[in-house]
Amino acid sequence: MDSLKEDLKKQIIEQLNLEDLTVADIADDALLFNDQGLGLDSIDALELIVLLEKYHGIQLTNPEEGKEAFKSIDTMAAYIRKRKAA
Amino acid sequence: MNKPALYLSAASTISHQPTFRNPGFSVGLGPVEASSALISPDYKAYIEAGLLRRMSKILRMSVACAKDCMEQAGIAQPDAIVVGTGLGCLQDTEKFLNTSLTVEGLLPPTSFIQSTHNTMAGQISLSLGNHGYNMTHTQNTLSFEHALLDAAMLLREGDRNVLVGAADEHIDILEDIARQLAFEANAPLTSAASFFVLSAENQGNASAGLADVYTSGGTEYGQEDIDAFLDRNGLQAGDVDLALYAGTPVQGAARNVDYLPLAGVYPTASAFALHYALDVFATNSEVRNVLICNGLRKSNLGLTLLKAFEA
Amino acid sequence: MGVCITGIGVVSAIGMSVKENLSALREGRTGIGPLHYLQGTKASLAGEVKASNDALRAALGVGTEYVSRTSLLGLQAAREAWGDNKRSGVIRTGLISATSVGGMDRSEVFYKNYLAQNNPDYRLLTTHDSGSTTERIAKELGITGYINTLSTACSSGVNAIMLGARLILQGTLDRVLVGGSDALSVFTIDGFRSLMIYDDQWCRPFDDNRAGLNLGEGAGFLLLEGEKSIELTGNRPICNVSGWANAADAYHQTASSPDGKGATLAIEHAIRRAGIGLDQISYVNAHGTGTKNNDHSESVALQNVFGDRIPPFSSTKAFTGHTLAAAGAIEAVFSVLAIQHNLIFPNLNYRTPIAETGLVPATQLEAGAEVNAVLSNSFGFGGNNSSLVLTKYE
Repeated sequence: MDSLKEDLKKQIIEQLNLEDLTVADIADDALLFNDQGLGLDSIDALELIVLLEKYHGIQLTNPEEGKEAFKSIDTMAAYIRKRKAA
Repeated sequence: MNKPALYLSAASTISHQPTFRNPGFSVGLGPVEASSALISPDYKAYIEAGLLRRMSKILRMSVACAKDCMEQAGIAQPDAIVVGTGLGCLQDTEKFLNTSLTVEGLLPPTSFIQSTHNTMAGQISLSLGNHGYNMTHTQNTLSFEHALLDAAMLLREGDRNVLVGAADEHIDILEDIARQLAFEANAPLTSAASFFVLSAENQGNASAGLADVYTSGGTEYGQEDIDAFLDRNGLQAGDVDLALYAGTPVQGAARNVDYLPLAGVYPTASAFALHYALDVFATNSEVRNVLICNGLRKSNLGLTLLKAFEA
Repeated sequence: MGVCITGIGVVSAIGMSVKENLSALREGRTGIGPLHYLQGTKASLAGEVKASNDALRAALGVGTEYVSRTSLLGLQAAREAWGDNKRSGVIRTGLISATSVGGMDRSEVFYKNYLAQNNPDYRLLTTHDSGSTTERIAKELGITGYINTLSTACSSGVNAIMLGARLILQGTLDRVLVGGSDALSVFTIDGFRSLMIYDDQWCRPFDDNRAGLNLGEGAGFLLLEGEKSIELTGNRPICNVSGWANAADAYHQTASSPDGKGATLAIEHAIRRAGIGLDQISYVNAHGTGTKNNDHSESVALQNVFGDRIPPFSSTKAFTGHTLAAAGAIEAVFSVLAIQHNLIFPNLNYRTPIAETGLVPATQLEAGAEVNAVLSNSFGFGGNNSSLVLTKYE
């Protein structure tokens, strides 16, 4: 089990008030902004940017940059690891 | 003024009282208790989960009442959505104010987005997919009457059905503020939303019609203002079977009921009184004329006249 | 005769009066710069009115300290629009103002002390609610009766003008002072920053490289009169309020739809209500905030309505900043000035057309051609879209 991904799921559920979901409901490769996935929107994207700063100390100032990073839990985890390694 | 009456073809209220989807609630309704809480329906039955997760109390109440009204009136879309709110989205406003003053880093935007007064009307249009006129009036204790006046004008301009309502929400700090500013009320501070469908034609389900609405601000009112309003509608105080009032009772009315103890105190409580009046019409065929006299604030007067339809 | 405009008043970052605003517009002089009066914000640039609250209170003769900056700015513009008109027992007169923040500039002072438990002054909250902003203006002008406030975010100002015109046409009022007012606050600056649409540089409406808006503050008011009122006051009409419409985009809480649906409906209905042809619109005062989303969506809406024959258009927000609920009213005053003086105002900071739409706004002051009809757009949060058509009085 990848603890960064588990943490991300918990943080997303809290930050976005996804009251009905549990960590187990979110697949690592589920598309976050697709209706078949979590169905998030542009306001959620901004909340995810806040989440990255708050929990991971990563600043992302251009919302466009987030588009690739926020595709799924997998891509978010990879983005965080890349930024931290840099 | 001999304008034709407008039809109230749906009414829905979420409050501290058993008002939601409960016809006949007005019979034997007691005063709202200080310890009471908002009686919430299962919001998931009315609001899409994706929208619901972000919604504060005032938004949930408003969208659920709006959806309920659409169902009652049996119409898919209103021509317009008009909302009155005295204090707007207090929960989100306080939340963002707090964040803005205490958080150093990036600020979460959701509460800011939902702090604007037109969030209720906007969320209703989103929930219904409605592209019509969308308006929000905020004039203190007269916010609802101003919304009603606007809705009545829209029908006279050619609209057929207008969704009109009011909402205000209680947050804890209001208690402290009321105490500090020595605000005296004869009932507890509460939250509520009431929505209605106002129609140009009878859909067959209206028990009463809206005959006239009037507002006056910036000057202390007197009985003569009420008499003049009744007079322009061809009535005298003695013709009023029931006066629902906040502030001072209506002299000469057959019966006076203070609606604040029933609704609790919030700026748009006269919307609760309107739903209460419609419920009285539906349960008591002897009542012909009801006047809602909103003097919650001494310098603001709101008058709403309702008439029963011939059976 | 319809609904006539007989008085105008404005205060913004580019001036304290109609005269000052007009000369800044003519000279291409912006009012956007570093903040001097509002403390504690993270914004590097904003369109601040160049006067302190104390100076405004002194100039307006308002004694109490318990008054919001929103009320003071509103009163400044409302007084100018009202001019030396008199109260009347026969002319039914109303006041409609629009505000988005109300007394937030005072409430945030209270709340900061409240959180710090540092003797918060609860009386500051008596100016919090939006309705009280208008009640204060009414009280200072001696207007009683129909007093109302609209709050539909950034389209509020246009909505106040529209409601006033309808009240006159329905015979509810004979004359009505309509407008909007909003003061800068930490709350709104932080809010737009949290949406990541606050540009730290000078905003660039309709430019491909635009990166967001700069907030501004101010107020605009217009005196509307119907036939009966004009017969009694003898006021000379400047313009007519000929068309208006409000439509919901119903697309998203904050973003405008990519197909510009709500905006297209508002523009089309307003022009239809005015009863004029598309080719008779001489100038479009666009909403043009400088955000990626608005300017794109508004460009698409203009193309939807006008095809490839879009009239000269510009956004004046690079002069004033985005003044939220006041914007529609301030820009209606600018639209009146465009008609009065046959002017088309420049869209400052424009360099490159937006790639997807390729529209080119007016970039120089144009003072040659006759301006007979102006379309003014205001679009807001919650998909609230409003358009107004003003025409030369004939």
